[in-house]
Amino acid sequence: MDDLDDLFAQARAGAMQPSDDLTRRVLADAERLQPKPTAFAPRVTVRQSEGFWAGLSRFFGGGFSLAGIGSAAVLGLFFGFVQPSALMSMTTGMTGADTLDTLELMPGVDALLTEE
Amino acid sequence: MPRDSLAEIADDTLLVLYANGDRDAARLLTHRLLPRLVSFAGRMLGDRAEAEDVAQDVMLRLWQMAPDWRQGDAKVSTWAYRVASNLCTDRLRARVRRRTSALDEVAEPEDGAASALAGLIEADRMAALEAALAQLPERQREAVVLRHLEGLTNPEIAEILQIGVEAVESLTARGKRALSAALSGQRAALGYEEAEANG
Repeated sequence: MDDLDDLFAQARAGAMQPSDDLTRRVLADAERLQPKPTAFAPRVTVRQSEGFWAGLSRFFGGGFSLAGIGSAAVLGLFFGFVQPSALMSMTTGMTGADTLDTLELMPGVDALLTEE
Repeated sequence: MPRDSLAEIADDTLLVLYANGDRDAARLLTHRLLPRLVSFAGRMLGDRAEAEDVAQDVMLRLWQMAPDWRQGDAKVSTWAYRVASNLCTDRLRARVRRRTSALDEVAEPEDGAASALAGLIEADRMAALEAALAQLPERQREAVVLRHLEGLTNPEIAEILQIGVEAVESLTARGKRALSAALSGQRAALGYEEAEANG
């Protein structure tokens, strides 16, 4: 039926258009439901200024570590100054020297350092 | 993104842009889809207010599912038509239920379709076409509207109605035959016979 094709053509030309109010409602829905962009701001942690001992303690891994290191240092100084006889006999036996004024920890390096 | 550069972008890309916070993408998608949805729903339902409700509902669902949209799965327009088609079908069936329950209380007239068309003697051609379309079974009406009034291809319609292309061809052919039959008795009222006589 050619008349039907004519009718279709007329109907296509006279299609229902959305009202301005509908368009506004749809855009309002779009704005309301639009996912908000995620902000990738750097994470800033504010740390209060700490004292010398607190910083030192944190650097060495805590109070117990710092106490251990301090104790070892004091004990080393003590042995250096007092030089107990029992310890001296042991070091003499190990190094072959009477006194422990100098100790070569890397004797093999001397050959490299010696100038011809 | 500037609107000029959005004009050439495919619908599904616009939807992804919308999901990423681009406001122009929403405006352009609305500009592209809303007139088609209103037109289609208007032809299916024959009522502007209902057609606009359906179109708004489809767009609302589109915005809601935008973050989950997977590019390449389907065309956005095809998806939108399919949702609109389902919503129109729901409304048409609700109308039938309401009409049936109302008619249960009143004496049922013989041949309702014929009397509806007979009442259109003074109506214009578009009203006659709408009335004839309203008499078609839902699927035939959808197929005819999508093919001949919305200008979609048979494969597109097949995807929207989720049937085969051959079934679409069959539906549109039967729909056109039924429309021709319904309108043939209205030729004089539609001015065709007068035009032929003058021609």
